[in-house]
Amino acid sequence: MTAVAEAKIRKRVLPSPVTGQEVVLVGVIVVLWAALAVSTPAFLTAGSIQPLLVATAPVALIGVGMTIVIITGGIDVSVGGAIMVCSVLTAKALVEAEVGLAVAVLLSVAAGGLLGLVNGVLIAYGRVHAIIITFGTANLFMFLGLRIFGSGTVNGIPGTLAFFGRGPDGRTLGVPHAFLITVLLTAAAWWWLRHTAGGRHFFAIGGDAQAARLAGVRVQRRVLSAYVLTGLLVGLASCFVIAQGTSTLDQSVGAGKELAVIAAVVIGGTSIMGGRGSVLGTLLGALLVQSVASGVTQLGWRSQLSDLFVGIFIIVAVGADLLRARARRNR
Amino acid sequence: MSRAVRILLTQRIALLAVLIVAVVVTFFVNDAGGYLTAPYDFDYMSAALITAVPLAMLGLAEMLVILSGRGGIDLSVGAIVSLAGMVFGFAYGEWGWPLWLAILATAGFGALLGAVNGFLVSYIGFPALIATLATFYAYKSLAIVINDQQPISTEPIQELFSISRSVELPLFGEYVPDVPLGIFTFLLPTVVAVWVLLARTAYGRRLYAIGTNDVAARWAGLPVKDTRFKAYVYAGLISGLVAVVTVGQFASARPDAGVSGNGMALPAITIAVLGGVAITGGIGRVAGVVLATLLIVWLNAGILLAFVGNEGSQYQLLALGAVLVFAALLNGLTNRRYGGSAS
Amino acid sequence: MTDETTPRLRLTAISKRFGAVRAIQHADFTVRAGRVHALVGENGAGKSTMIKIVAGAETADSGRIEFEGVTAEIRSTTDAIALGIATVYQEPQLFPELTVAENIFLGREIRSTFKKVDWSAQNAKVVELLELLGLPERYATAEVGTLSVAEQQQVSIAKALAADAKVLILDEPSAILTDAEIEVLFDVVRRLTAAGVAVIYISHRLDELFRIADEVTVMRDGRTIGTYPIKDLSVRQIAHLMVGEELSDARPHREVSEGPAALELCGLGRTGKFRDVDVTVRAGEIVALYGLVGSGVSEIAACVYGIDRATHGQLLVDSTQVNIKNPEHAQRLGIALLPANRKVEGMFGFQSIAFNISAGHLKLLSKLGVWVDRAREKAVALKLIERLAVKTPHERQPISAMSGGNAQKVILARQLVERPRVLVLAEPTQGVDVGAKEEIHRLITELAEEGTAVLVVTSDLPEALRIADRIQVVRGGTTTDEFGPDASQVDLLAAAAGGSE
Repeated sequence: MTAVAEAKIRKRVLPSPVTGQEVVLVGVIVVLWAALAVSTPAFLTAGSIQPLLVATAPVALIGVGMTIVIITGGIDVSVGGAIMVCSVLTAKALVEAEVGLAVAVLLSVAAGGLLGLVNGVLIAYGRVHAIIITFGTANLFMFLGLRIFGSGTVNGIPGTLAFFGRGPDGRTLGVPHAFLITVLLTAAAWWWLRHTAGGRHFFAIGGDAQAARLAGVRVQRRVLSAYVLTGLLVGLASCFVIAQGTSTLDQSVGAGKELAVIAAVVIGGTSIMGGRGSVLGTLLGALLVQSVASGVTQLGWRSQLSDLFVGIFIIVAVGADLLRARARRNR
Repeated sequence: MSRAVRILLTQRIALLAVLIVAVVVTFFVNDAGGYLTAPYDFDYMSAALITAVPLAMLGLAEMLVILSGRGGIDLSVGAIVSLAGMVFGFAYGEWGWPLWLAILATAGFGALLGAVNGFLVSYIGFPALIATLATFYAYKSLAIVINDQQPISTEPIQELFSISRSVELPLFGEYVPDVPLGIFTFLLPTVVAVWVLLARTAYGRRLYAIGTNDVAARWAGLPVKDTRFKAYVYAGLISGLVAVVTVGQFASARPDAGVSGNGMALPAITIAVLGGVAITGGIGRVAGVVLATLLIVWLNAGILLAFVGNEGSQYQLLALGAVLVFAALLNGLTNRRYGGSAS
Repeated sequence: MTDETTPRLRLTAISKRFGAVRAIQHADFTVRAGRVHALVGENGAGKSTMIKIVAGAETADSGRIEFEGVTAEIRSTTDAIALGIATVYQEPQLFPELTVAENIFLGREIRSTFKKVDWSAQNAKVVELLELLGLPERYATAEVGTLSVAEQQQVSIAKALAADAKVLILDEPSAILTDAEIEVLFDVVRRLTAAGVAVIYISHRLDELFRIADEVTVMRDGRTIGTYPIKDLSVRQIAHLMVGEELSDARPHREVSEGPAALELCGLGRTGKFRDVDVTVRAGEIVALYGLVGSGVSEIAACVYGIDRATHGQLLVDSTQVNIKNPEHAQRLGIALLPANRKVEGMFGFQSIAFNISAGHLKLLSKLGVWVDRAREKAVALKLIERLAVKTPHERQPISAMSGGNAQKVILARQLVERPRVLVLAEPTQGVDVGAKEEIHRLITELAEEGTAVLVVTSDLPEALRIADRIQVVRGGTTTDEFGPDASQVDLLAAAAGGSE
């Protein structure tokens, strides 16, 4: 083989790193931001963009784990309950034990990982569909979270986690840390999914678990790891949630977040049937949803109207994918 | 003995019946021992049934769409309850329509919202989870925006609270506890209608057929798409009726009635699965869903008396989650052990 | 190193039973390096069992396997792969979302630092393989889902070779390919043999064997009849060896009255599937469409029943041109169809016999088209259970608990509820025991005698000869020759397998 041919192969070892869905999403976000910038001059200012990025972080971060779970053909509807457990546990530790930043993060991540392990073991070894198991564990986690809450709210949370927060302590060079961490972890996950055997095996499992097993992929372990990873990320995201809130944490924390995360994943182009997806798309999906929410408020519309747009985005994103698949079949 | 175990493991209805008896006996014993904060007796059990009305109705709605197969599920039922409830609020509370017409219109509107789901899933080919996630967001948003976030609680709406009252049964009513009116006006008609639909009509047969084997149904000349579409329409229609019940219970049409907290869809799906409806489609019976509702309602009612303050509502979550995981793992086990079972 | 005289793989006196059925008896089979060895036989002759034993998917009850002169134990597919025996099945088992290179290396990736997959090393190997196969280099980084079926098959071959295959089994590789694609396949096979791989080639299309195979082993009734250099034989001779002694099929010649044509296919075609198909079935007549796997014969049946739409030609029912939109429409026109794939297209698994019979006839079995008339449903089910001699305690038995033959009878019963004018039967006795086969054949004859026009679509040669009044041979997607019931099996097989010389 000639050196030239070899170089050419080395350059094109994988299909294009960016999917069509991601390009479209970037386009939609750019157009949306431009439109908002024109209609409300306050939009393209640090005071508006920074909160937008901060608010995107938790959903996008959990979305990394959820994307991998969905790529394997599963789903996790218990993340709302898991957020509640991790955040109340951490908030209590901050208030009552006055733990430092590192301990708080470690505690939250460890708690999340443990909850993910429960899901993972039941799903990988119990041979029951993920949606049913996680509907069940969602209730169990909420019970656990409410028990830790005791009665009412957790009050007087100190600013230990301000590093992840909305304030000036939460930014470096104007970039919110929570968002930065999310972007870095998304990039790491993107590399891992694309360039390691372990990462590629998630796609194989989602394509055909039985065939993957025959090819020597350790399916159960891989599936387990996807749920544990999601749990770990829920733990970190819970720290973001505490830091972004006020000094009071109430019992509604995490409620409905599982659907928000799934929505971001789906808008990002990941197939709910498994085998195909991208964490980059999920980040963009989460950013788009948050941009709409932010835009709706800044335009002075009812904030809940943004949910209508989320619904429409899901239909359009998945509908376009369905049409593409149909066109491919008819080709 | 092993035969009895086998029946318990493979016949969901038998298992649920045994669990109900166990739950009721447990609380009766606890009551006799004085461990409960209030008496757990037939009157209490009967009054608790009011919470069974929306739960069982939405459980049946979920059952219809899950039965239709191909990953059938409806996450939007709670949002339909909210939105249809607001429509009912307008029609009956603001525009002064007669009650029967307002109920009819609300049910029809629910069916219309369900038709959107059905169209997306059956005719366009969306995965049900995605389509109904999208409409969940859309309907939820519309319900809040439609009346500028305000509930409707005009006088006619407030008077509807009477739906929730308990009534004495005719003839032998003095010997048995009073029963919530909603059981007779909404739940029983729905249970009977769904049972008749599934067990006695050609449509029911078609629904089981497409849920069991989509491809074979097509080769047998069945209208697969139309049948699946209608399952979502019926689910929407039932959700519309639940909207009326919910407005009555709250004495107010609340824009977040079906989606506040964890919403109504999750408990409804849980009830359906617990009642033995297979998530893969084609398997499930009305009796299973009804018994699963009774189990959860009476278990919850007992738990409320066993704990002080809001601890009770917390332990209800534990009970629901534990029962669901237990039932799901049991399904997995029986499928391996006995190679799957029909009912 | 092995010398010329040691065969790559030698099977001696192999036997295998499945319950009471002797799938293989005392079979011998020898494959040499650098040769293409064809294995032929009719359906049920034991080819696939033989292949499964070599591939490790089944274990022989007795007999000896030698690999390069050394006795080998093949107890699992892993054992076979370890020896260097690779199998490419008809349906490619690949992951559509992964690239070709990833598919080839799945589960045994080449890794560099940080557990990273060494893409360039993998791709370089894949490109080498593709070069060996004469395939374009761009395949390496293409997602499998974007490739055609033929290309996917080539990828499967490359995947098999990546494991350093010394014996490559190709199971009906040409069945899903067009003529041009078959040329590419042959080219690939020739390159492999030149590189010293022993190829076992299974095909129904006898004509192509003369272009690719060096030797042929013929199987019949679980025995290997013999191994011959291909150049010593003709298509007719191979067909003769496959069929064996012409059984005097003592079927009484049926008198078919000259009824009106019930179903006519005039120049029917569907782009890419079949073309210019002409068949006429009269009321009371049994016509067989006989074609080998991949001949397009099953696609024709799907078109008659409205599962697919024809793109060319005309379809006439009772001499009226119709454009059948869907199976429901076909049923209204009086056409019933027994699908070929019972489990996928026929059975409602965990539902009862009665449910399975009434499924396509709910309008008829309902009052006002709404309420299922359960008494009538039960009566109809019991009547058909009796008529078809379905062995079951009651009509509420779930069909998934029944034997293949009984389940097939239930699915056939469904087609008879409304007494169709035209009955299409696709592979009516596939995977059915001998007793049930007999009964189904008797029933088909009975139905014809009552005036039903029957079209049997089959790849089972004795079946076609046994029940049909006329046999239309389908080859290469079109109807070719027509035979009467007294045609010989050899003639039919030669016609279908391409012995036009």
